[in-house]
Amino acid sequence: MATSFDTLSAAQIAAGIAAGDFTAREVATASLDAIAAREDAVQAFLQVSPELALAAADRIDADRAAGKPLPPLAGVPLAIKDNMNLVGTRTTCASRMLETYESVYTATCVQRMLDAGCVPVGKANMDEFAFGSSTESSAFHPTNNPWDTGRIPGGSSGGSAAAVAAGEVPLALGSDTGGSIRQPAALCGVVGMKPTYGAVSRYGVVAFGSSLDQVGPFGRTVEDVALAMNALVGAGRDPYDGTSQDCAVDFCEHLNDSIEGKRVGIIPAFMEAEGLTPEVRAAVEGAAKQLEAQGAELVEVELPHLDAAIAAYYVIGPAEAFSNLARFDGIRYGYQEPDCANLDAQSSLSRAHGFGAEAKRRQLLGAYLLSSGVYDKYYYAAQKARTLITADYNAAYEKCDVILMPSSPRTAWKHGEISDPTQMYLADLYTISINIAGNGGVSVPLGLGADSQLPVAAQLVGPAFKDRTLLMFARALERGLADASKGAPALSVAPAFAGKGGELA
Amino acid sequence: MKELSEVLKDWEAVIGLEIHTELTALDTKMFCNCKLSHEDEPNANVCPVCLGLPGALPVPNKRAIESIVKAGLATNCEIQKRSMFYRKHYFYPDMAKNFQTTQGPVAFCMHGRLDLEVTGRGAAERPDCAFGEAEGLSLASASANAEGLSTAMAQQMREGGETRGGALAGMSGYDTANLALPERHEDGSYTVPIRILRIHMEEDAAKMVHVGGEEGRIAAASESLIDYNRCGTPLIELVTEPDLRTPEEARLFMEKLRRIFLTLGISDCSMEHGSMRCDGNVSLRRRGETKLGTKTELKNLNSFKALHDGLAYEICRQAEVLEEGGIIYQETRHWEPGRKRTVVMRVKETADDYRLFPDPDLAPFDLSDEFIEHCRSEIPELPDAKRDRFEADFGIKRADAEQIAGDPETAAFFEESAAGLSGKPAQAVANLIVNELAAYLKGVEGGIADCGIAPAQVASLAKLLAEDAISSNQAHEVFGLMAESGEDPEKIVDERGMRQVSDAGALQPIVDEVLARCADQAQQYRDGNQKVLGFLVGQCMKASRGQGNPKLFNELLRASLS
Repeated sequence: MATSFDTLSAAQIAAGIAAGDFTAREVATASLDAIAAREDAVQAFLQVSPELALAAADRIDADRAAGKPLPPLAGVPLAIKDNMNLVGTRTTCASRMLETYESVYTATCVQRMLDAGCVPVGKANMDEFAFGSSTESSAFHPTNNPWDTGRIPGGSSGGSAAAVAAGEVPLALGSDTGGSIRQPAALCGVVGMKPTYGAVSRYGVVAFGSSLDQVGPFGRTVEDVALAMNALVGAGRDPYDGTSQDCAVDFCEHLNDSIEGKRVGIIPAFMEAEGLTPEVRAAVEGAAKQLEAQGAELVEVELPHLDAAIAAYYVIGPAEAFSNLARFDGIRYGYQEPDCANLDAQSSLSRAHGFGAEAKRRQLLGAYLLSSGVYDKYYYAAQKARTLITADYNAAYEKCDVILMPSSPRTAWKHGEISDPTQMYLADLYTISINIAGNGGVSVPLGLGADSQLPVAAQLVGPAFKDRTLLMFARALERGLADASKGAPALSVAPAFAGKGGELA
Repeated sequence: MKELSEVLKDWEAVIGLEIHTELTALDTKMFCNCKLSHEDEPNANVCPVCLGLPGALPVPNKRAIESIVKAGLATNCEIQKRSMFYRKHYFYPDMAKNFQTTQGPVAFCMHGRLDLEVTGRGAAERPDCAFGEAEGLSLASASANAEGLSTAMAQQMREGGETRGGALAGMSGYDTANLALPERHEDGSYTVPIRILRIHMEEDAAKMVHVGGEEGRIAAASESLIDYNRCGTPLIELVTEPDLRTPEEARLFMEKLRRIFLTLGISDCSMEHGSMRCDGNVSLRRRGETKLGTKTELKNLNSFKALHDGLAYEICRQAEVLEEGGIIYQETRHWEPGRKRTVVMRVKETADDYRLFPDPDLAPFDLSDEFIEHCRSEIPELPDAKRDRFEADFGIKRADAEQIAGDPETAAFFEESAAGLSGKPAQAVANLIVNELAAYLKGVEGGIADCGIAPAQVASLAKLLAEDAISSNQAHEVFGLMAESGEDPEKIVDERGMRQVSDAGALQPIVDEVLARCADQAQQYRDGNQKVLGFLVGQCMKASRGQGNPKLFNELLRASLS
């Protein structure tokens, strides 16, 4: 009987290929079939790369036939956020500015996933240059939430999250500057991890906020995310990224350990925050009880300077974005305004017409914040706030091993529902401070919200470079949820898409 | 326009230099592994990092940091263990990222100093009124105003980040009291301390070639070509305090710095090819005035002569404008060596806003004591120490010692040639190197190492000179012959019968014969015409077929005629 490959986790796919149950080409073909069948409704991808995928799959099949040992994610289809360079694909950042830009080198994070055996099936949609929380600012098309295609998937890594949730791929890479992995993971009901800053190389990932950006994986199981983390950090620090650090550990080693006796921090102010919907609050409280039931101790922690996090983020982020996006001037590559009389006109008009509204808004904000006389008031103050928030977190981790909080204050909203940018910025209420502090965070699905019947999620955050501990707690939540639903996976592929195309022969 | 010497009696010129040096001795660029080369095809040495392609990240070149630390140690700077890179934004195609990675308020090297010994004619440029107490006031008031020195620096000082308090405190508290004031010696020479504000690390921009425009400038160009080979070249920028007062001092400072950098082996320091470039900031104020005038910035000072002459012209130009009641605009001016004038390049109406902020892609540096000591241990003997040693050990003239010690190859050649010598023969070696060898090298390809002349040949020739076995005119001839043939000068002299006769007994009969033959001239000498002696020496030389020692003839003639 033919089953869709979307019932299999990345771990099961790799194991099945290694065992000879099916070939990498069959899996790649199934993934491409599923994409063909589901993309009209989901629109998670900006490009699909069948030639790259099939060539990679054939290499794995050849290696297996030759008796070579297969890497841990051999034959696992992977979606890649379109701000990551991969030779053979365009890297557009969902912007007109880079609509035709062909990657001339491959990002370290992508290369490491390929080295681990992943098969690149395509580049995923995103908010333009990762500015946004809904993927609506993509210059090309919106992406739909597989749980309700009338709704947004979250953002900015909305395409990556949706591709996993729709069962088009079991794994995807995203990047997270203020919540861009964790928030869409929450809204799409998948696991999404932002590792500690410096754990994963940023080389080849088009920068938004260099001191905030971090690459991480999406998967439908915690184990798959752990396997992807092994691939991303296992080779040690990247000599091409001066901010990357050597923190290689085996993320699978203690994944199923008991959390008995461990302490889980709860921030009361976060559970009372304005904008947090009752169903998300109830789900996160349920998750706390679940961890407690597994033997963890719940402790209250305070983060006195947390109020400053969003303000600090909207200074540091735009300032760095202004600087990082200055290079897009239409001279060497990217959109070039035709028929300009001189250099100034060409740069100005290329930028005016190449960037979308949100990209321009952030760069203008950044240019203002860094200008003479303004810098001290905002940028310097934001750096001070950053130091205080980091210290707050460090103090909190004296009292607990991880902190549990919502990933997003609410479930997915309808396309066009939020048009005020400042309202959109509040979607990142729970995720931003983690980027400010540089620590790791993981969003874990908690089933469907009682009111909306849409995915709700909890976020676990932990001390710097304790990302393995985070996954151990994430696994505990996943296990608890599976027990509660009597052994079935808590959330798998969104029902409207499960099994639609992608049969394994 | 008035002469410089006239101008400087009434006006004080306050001069600061900004000196960029490419670290050409390194193999790779500042933030990537691309080859450093001036010779390759355009855009041959580029990669995603130096082209600023999306997603690329910089990784600092450790050897470049070693080089700048050495430069700082050799110029008596304080090495800042903690400093960082900043981004300086401006939109121009020569900088692929539209920002330059440079340093902020704290540079790797801060607060250094070089002492200049100003001798000879150049020492006269500084008028007598610019010494002692008056000069103390001048130095102190110029550096209190040092913020006006450079727009870029001023920008950096206004900007800040977390390091700002400390850096500014250090700068405003900078103390001139412990510095020796210049005093004029009897021979007119003087020594003056020139403070160095900072030496920071940055990356060079790409080279642009504008086609079809006027004099290669962008205005009216039909197209512009960009060569990114140079983009990302490690560059160190040294900024002096405004302590220089004459064009000669500026020239000497540049020369001295160049000698130090050559000795350190961090750059080829070619002003001609632009691997060492100097901008001069100059303003005038009336003698005794403590407020600084408006400065202009001079570019295209691409030789020592251009640096001197450009500043001299600009000082005289400013004096003329001011004396006619005009005002000086803060502007960048271009030295035109052909027309011997400066012309406006651009007027700075408002300070550029470079939006400087710490580069988030580059972690702050935390230099260890070990690293700094390792750099120190690799610094060879510096030119000043070498000059003093040559003067003391070989007994040669200080000016010659200075010149020889300034170039590492020349110094090594001298040491080998003069080994075991001192006094007269050592000075003869020095003379040969400073005059004959230097002139010879101008006419051949390559340097000292491969010019075909061996130290032993120079030593041998120097001995012949010191023993008065040949005249200096003959030495010139022998030098050319030994360079061509590679033979020992002794052999050349002997084979050609060039050896001077310095035996008084052998020469006296010739003197007697000449005096008998030239009785008229002898009488003229006795009547008080000293000049006629030269004619008589010439007659003696002729009679001896050039082999008599002219000095001895001179002495013998005087004795015979007295």
